Amino acid sequence: MTLIFTLVAIAEMAIAAPLLIRLAIGPTISDRIVAVNTLSTQAMLSVLFFAAAADRAIYLDVALWLASFSYLGTIVWARYLERELL
Amino acid sequence: MSWFWVLDYLVLALVLACAVLTVAVRNLNGAVMALSALGTVLTVLFVILGAPDVAHSEAVVGAIALPVLYLVAIGKSRTDVARDANLGEERSREQT
Amino acid sequence: MIALAVIGLGFSLSGVVGILRMPDVYCRIQCSSKTITMGALPLLLALVVGEGFVSGYTSRALLVMFLLLIVNPVSSHALARAAYKTGVPMWHGAVLDQARPGEPADEGRP
Repeated sequence: MTLIFTLVAIAEMAIAAPLLIRLAIGPTISDRIVAVNTLSTQAMLSVLFFAAAADRAIYLDVALWLASFSYLGTIVWARYLERELL
Repeated sequence: MSWFWVLDYLVLALVLACAVLTVAVRNLNGAVMALSALGTVLTVLFVILGAPDVAHSEAVVGAIALPVLYLVAIGKSRTDVARDANLGEERSREQT
Repeated sequence: MIALAVIGLGFSLSGVVGILRMPDVYCRIQCSSKTITMGALPLLLALVVGEGFVSGYTSRALLVMFLLLIVNPVSSHALARAAYKTGVPMWHGAVLDQARPGEPADEGRP
């Protein structure tokens, strides 16, 4: 069971690794925001499965913070693109 | 046996790649996005190293607050950054 | 549980490949919105099944699932709206833009 959770966490971060290519070559700023948003979701899932594998329930709150604040950041950047933040 | 070292080295490689991207991307907004990705991956690294409270502050400050601060600074210094999304440093140097 | 985890990982992999390969910002936003959410939900269900229903992990997993279902479409919509307002060009093979005024599909709408 622990091995499966660890393998899922490793696979999530390995899946999230090619997003850095889109982060590097993204033609517009929106592509990079999409890449960062997806990377944050994958990192949240990886933290969740690492908490289940390490059997520490206190790590789960980090996943909650990541899940809520990444979307807040995306919305803030969208407002910045519409020139309504400044 | 524990397989946590694979995740450790993988996240270390991702942190290194994000840091290189932060320096290497020529577009200023893209560099800020790479900084945000660096904060997100660094959160996972702090959790793996066993410091969840540091990961809390890193998730808020490193992934959200610091890039938003940089975005506000960039947007206030140049008024035509967001209107032309492809504006890199080379073109601005040509203009000035 | 293993089947749910494999389903979730497959959907996540297809979403990332879609973000890498799609020709357009809006197609990439679609991949980031639907496919990543569809990849995350079976993984959270796998966590619920693997840890048992009465545990601290299950409540956090269900909370994250609820949060993901609510806030991910909102952020994707805000991002697509901002990208359209900033004038990000569409793919050259795009056939319809219903948001632009004067489009033929726009006549039947109030």
